[in-house]
Amino acid sequence: MQAFDQIQELWQKHEVEVKFSADEMLQQAKKEVNGLKFKSALNIIGMAASFIAIAALWIFFHFDSWTTHVGISITIITIGVYTLILYRDYRLIVKTDFTAHPQEYLNNLKTYQLNRYKLYNSLYWFYMVALSTGIIFYFIEILSHFNLIQKIIAIGLTFLWILFCSTILRRAVIKREKERIALLIEKFERISGQISAPEKF
Amino acid sequence: MEQKDKLFKEIFDSNSKKIFHLCYGYTGDTDAANDLLQETFLKVWQNLDKFRNKSLISTWIYRIAVNTCLTYLRSEKRQAKDELTENIIENKIEEFSEKNEQVALLYQCISKLEENDRLIITMVLDELPYHEIADISGISEGNLRVKIHRIKQKLTELYNQYASV
Repeated sequence: MQAFDQIQELWQKHEVEVKFSADEMLQQAKKEVNGLKFKSALNIIGMAASFIAIAALWIFFHFDSWTTHVGISITIITIGVYTLILYRDYRLIVKTDFTAHPQEYLNNLKTYQLNRYKLYNSLYWFYMVALSTGIIFYFIEILSHFNLIQKIIAIGLTFLWILFCSTILRRAVIKREKERIALLIEKFERISGQISAPEKF
Repeated sequence: MEQKDKLFKEIFDSNSKKIFHLCYGYTGDTDAANDLLQETFLKVWQNLDKFRNKSLISTWIYRIAVNTCLTYLRSEKRQAKDELTENIIENKIEEFSEKNEQVALLYQCISKLEENDRLIITMVLDELPYHEIADISGISEGNLRVKIHRIKQKLTELYNQYASV
């Protein structure tokens, strides 16, 4: 039969070990935020690379038909505009240090979440329509050099790729990103609240 | 900023162990306790400038930790984990039963207490003065004494009951 004093003694004898230091703790928290920044930056880099590749195509290859120039122009403008939109969102999450201005960071994170939602929904369809129009114009001249089978393969693969991006890939990206941002928001909301007032037991 | 860093490190070094013990007592899970410790000290870091020396800094940190613990498991994401708390503790027993069966049993008994009681008893076990616990929990000292007496009894009963099985 144990008394409370013995239980207390047992508790105090049990040494707990904190596995990280103050620095590591802040670093760990920053790592989670940096994960989101990194993915966002990767998105921009990918878009910028596409922009450069298409611009290079325009500069280094000679095209005869005006339709090809229209097609490339539409594609390159679309990619450029979307890269800027992505950059604007990226700025939202990098301009505030969450350890210094938690409330501002949280507000920015919520705006970022809303912007991403628009980007993957209404804006995405504008992007898809613009890109498809650009590709159609581009194909008019390019496909004239191909035989029938090559034409079918090129159109078929392009169509399947667009379909894949608009359905399976888009849904997976939305789901993953939604979860990641929601988790961060949830965490920061918890962190921002309830500092001074104790909850009544 | 450097001064804030230095101050924060001092505060972390002198309080982190106790806060971790509180979180561990509350959840019975090392990972969850680490998460809670991190969240608590992030709040401390962010609000260090607002601390006005009206109370002891340790009391202020305990208050943040207690609120963090309560909110953590109540949030929707952690509900499932909350329900698993007992299971986690029971599983942990096997892990360190050979090393310290009695300590494992104690954590298991704490997990059987109500959420708020778990936090209060953890502070009592860590010998925090009653007036500080009252301040942290927002209960009058008179009521707290009655509550602590009841929790102590319950914990002792639970412990002896499980120890005799």
